[in-house]
Amino acid sequence: MTREETFNRKGLQILQKIKENLERLNQKMEVMIEIQKHDHKDVPPFSDKTLDVMTLLSMPDHLRKTAMAVCRLGRTTAEDISQQTHRARAVESAYLNQLVLMGYLKKERNGRKAYFFIDRTNGEIRNEQNNSCTFL
Amino acid sequence: MKLEMSKIIAVHSYKGGTGKTLLSVNLATTLAKHGKKVCLIDLDFRAPSLFAILKVEETKCWFNDYLNGTCGIDKVIADLSNRIESNEKFYVALANPKTDAIRDMSAKDRKWEMQALSKLLSLKKDLMKDNDFDYLIFDTSPGMQYSSINAIVAADLVVVATTRDRSDEEGTKRMLRGLYDLFEKKTGLVLNKVLDPTLKTKKTEVQTRVKDFYQVPLLGIVPCYCDVLRAKGDIIFVQDQPDHPFTKVLDEMVRKIETGQV
Repeated sequence: MTREETFNRKGLQILQKIKENLERLNQKMEVMIEIQKHDHKDVPPFSDKTLDVMTLLSMPDHLRKTAMAVCRLGRTTAEDISQQTHRARAVESAYLNQLVLMGYLKKERNGRKAYFFIDRTNGEIRNEQNNSCTFL
Repeated sequence: MKLEMSKIIAVHSYKGGTGKTLLSVNLATTLAKHGKKVCLIDLDFRAPSLFAILKVEETKCWFNDYLNGTCGIDKVIADLSNRIESNEKFYVALANPKTDAIRDMSAKDRKWEMQALSKLLSLKKDLMKDNDFDYLIFDTSPGMQYSSINAIVAADLVVVATTRDRSDEEGTKRMLRGLYDLFEKKTGLVLNKVLDPTLKTKKTEVQTRVKDFYQVPLLGIVPCYCDVLRAKGDIIFVQDQPDHPFTKVLDEMVRKIETGQV
């Protein structure tokens, strides 16, 4: 193995390590968000906000990108969103949880997986087949 | 399956009177003449005009009814293929021009607008996937109104009609950055009503200026033709005047759209 190949392999190992650390950090952050949600259960800070085009326009760029991807995909996971946006899964997970806290998305757990979707139960946009927005 | 090839095109502008409807009608007709199955949809609910331009006397349902959920899309679209040379596939969906309908559409709330967006998005499946339409052309209201932004969000490509009017130029530039860019939309600019662009040096100068100023692809430059003005929106120009320079400009625009140059 040449010196350059060794160097490249080490670089990849470091990146892999960083990715794993980020994943762990993200999991911790999700737990913190869940705790925060639980603590504020009686007085939700934001609830059932309308995710219309004007709201999307007023969002910061990073959240808009995530919100639009949820709309495009319907009920979805951070992994699927990251494939759409080409951003890291951990990053998308954080943004999705932020959108949940803001009242624009709902979150459900199925085993270890967390699913995010737009709640349309108030007669708003609803895709009868997959309970999601068909936006975009 | 040709869904991936198919496109929703929203024709939009910052100001009124830039020629959106003229462009929409002639763009749709040119696409149909190129053998595409096209549906032209009037989303200008505040000033509906396609019913008059296309001289449609009656329709089972208006596009308003489709958005209101009282009518299926199959009852809304009207087949006008007989208006086009060699019976190409040309359909329209019209906005209701009655005053009470305009008033009703102006008073819709945010939840209704969300529902409307969902309906617009479902056209991709209902018309393009299930009914083999190649192109849907949305003729929109100018500026940043709900119905227009919904159309832009649902579109794959936004054709932006603008003129050399100073306020239009500034407004269009702001809208490019503050609307289309935010939704990461592909845009193609049409500079309409350009005076005396026939000299080659002048055309090059305009092209350079437009690209530098707006920083988006230029779909076309449409000279201010007296013949088009004289027609008073009473004819489908590219259909009635196949050899006119205006028709050639539209042909070139459609070629750019079809080959993905915008």
